[in-house]
Amino acid sequence: MSEFLNQFKQLTATGYLFWVLAILALLSAVWVVTARNPIHSVLALIATFFCLSGHYILLNAQFLAAVNIIVYAGAIMVLFLFTIMFLNLRREDEESKTNLTKMAAVVVGGLLMVMLITIFRAKSAQVPTFNPVSFDSRTGLVENLGSILYSDYILPFELASVLFLVAMVGAVMLGKREAGDRHF
Amino acid sequence: MFPIVLLSVFGILLLFLGFLKSRAILLPAALLFLLVSLAVNFIDWNKTYLYFNGMLLSDNLSMVFTAIVLGSAFMVVALSGSFMEDESAQPAEYYGILLFSLVGALMMIGFENLIMLFVGVEILSVAMYVLTGSDKRNLRSNEAALKYFLMGAFTTGIMLFGMALLYGATGSFTLGGIRAYAVNPQVGLSLLFYVGLLMLLIGLLFKVSAAPFHFWTPDVYDGAPTLFTAFMSTVVKTAGFAALFRLLSISFSGVYTFWWTILAIITTLTLVAGNITAVYQNSFKRMMAYSSISHAGYLLIGLAALGQQTKQAIVFYSLAYSVATIAAFGVLLLVARQRNAETITSGGSSSESFDAFNGLARQNPLLGFAMAVSMLSLAGIPLTAGFWGKFYMFSTAVERGQIWLLVVAVLMSAVGIYYYFRVIIAMYFREGATAPIRVAPFYRYVLVVATLLTIGLGIAPGLLEGLF
Repeated sequence: MSEFLNQFKQLTATGYLFWVLAILALLSAVWVVTARNPIHSVLALIATFFCLSGHYILLNAQFLAAVNIIVYAGAIMVLFLFTIMFLNLRREDEESKTNLTKMAAVVVGGLLMVMLITIFRAKSAQVPTFNPVSFDSRTGLVENLGSILYSDYILPFELASVLFLVAMVGAVMLGKREAGDRHF
Repeated sequence: MFPIVLLSVFGILLLFLGFLKSRAILLPAALLFLLVSLAVNFIDWNKTYLYFNGMLLSDNLSMVFTAIVLGSAFMVVALSGSFMEDESAQPAEYYGILLFSLVGALMMIGFENLIMLFVGVEILSVAMYVLTGSDKRNLRSNEAALKYFLMGAFTTGIMLFGMALLYGATGSFTLGGIRAYAVNPQVGLSLLFYVGLLMLLIGLLFKVSAAPFHFWTPDVYDGAPTLFTAFMSTVVKTAGFAALFRLLSISFSGVYTFWWTILAIITTLTLVAGNITAVYQNSFKRMMAYSSISHAGYLLIGLAALGQQTKQAIVFYSLAYSVATIAAFGVLLLVARQRNAETITSGGSSSESFDAFNGLARQNPLLGFAMAVSMLSLAGIPLTAGFWGKFYMFSTAVERGQIWLLVVAVLMSAVGIYYYFRVIIAMYFREGATAPIRVAPFYRYVLVVATLLTIGLGIAPGLLEGLF
């Protein structure tokens, strides 16, 4: 115990942040699973994503952190919320699961945990330590990514906008209400 | 390269033209844009360039494929005059999406990097999902779009996973990089490489509707508006086979022994499933869907027996198939509209059955003849382009010594004659009370050109040989 406390005292600011974020991420992830109200569940999921983005920043991957928030906490969350509102899942008392379902869930979850622990134990010795000579702290920055996107990958990058344009035009075309529209 | 840039700009222009009060300018504008793109395609003729840091290859083969795709699109758009009469249609959006989808098709034809292939496949597919469902008040069109979208999205996932695995194995997204890894492995090819290759193949074979990934085809082709069915069965198929040919002939020719058996089995399945099921169809449009599956099978023969002649065979076959298919769908459009006008039928399936063609040739000799020639060409009767297409395809199999594949293909062509001739019999030997169908002049030109091309290539197949 005292050894652990000693280690704790020697932590840098980054180390403290890591622990705080990790605990927050785990807590909010547990909240996602245990929350009775699906809306709460979704909000907790957003908190989890923010914590993970914090981890990305600690790993010097600012771009990934920003994209994680924009795409997951932004777009996909809105999608989840829409779905929940459409399905009207406001009932607090959902029907209880059968014992068989619970058993299956426990078995599957347990197997996944065993697998993850095995992989972690087998591979943790092989994790390459970071090499200060070849380490480039700027790898994950927006600047590098942007210069690659706008030099080597300029054509697919620009043509991806054609893809989005087609999707948008199509969505508007299909979604537009017409005179004499039939309602299903 | 030039058509890709121009078509992206032209697509946006067409969307803006949709703001005009008059719809009359849209069709000529779309045709003009396609003609300009077709013309600039040949700027680099007889030169080979790699554009944009090795993203896009422009050589004679890719230009010929581009010309086939743009030519087919031109003919399909030229048949689209009926949009102007339909109040609920949105022609500006249709034409815009069609031009954008051609950008995707051209990317699939000239890609040099798997990322280009992926973006191209996605542009083409998303455009097709939308156009399939563009007949919003038709339940079958809605159903087709939903099915196509769900299955297509799933296959895209598989294909993307395959690309990621290939990247993991080879460390490169470029065709040349993958080839270098496959030809000269330092420590033997990794398992990831084979799995990635298979998943990528599955994704592309789904797009060209090869069995056992063909189950979406009949419903989608049947449910989509006929014009877009014609577009799908020509442009998408040609682009898909151009992409498959590039991948297999450049990147994976080193591991031919691994994939050719798989491809040969898929070819056999596709030929049998497409031809046998087509026999049982009562709707002409559904029959054409199964016939398009069977033609994917004939085109696959050239890939399973990859060799010197494959390039020429695929180009010729896709040209012959596209021209004949467009003519057939063009006639179907007119006939179905006439039948719908005569008897207001619900569901709309009866206007597309074989019976709808009864006695067509007597009242409308031109339509009857165009349809007959395209059916003969699809069946592979001599003196039409389809015969030489099949001939080149079969000779690739002979070159590789894959006689059993040849036997299956010939047997299935014989089956094909049965269902193609049902249309001809209905047109020429059955009695039907039909008024003459009015054919707009431009429409007539397209049908005449398609028929002349089919016959011309059937009489002088050597016309194309010197091109690439």
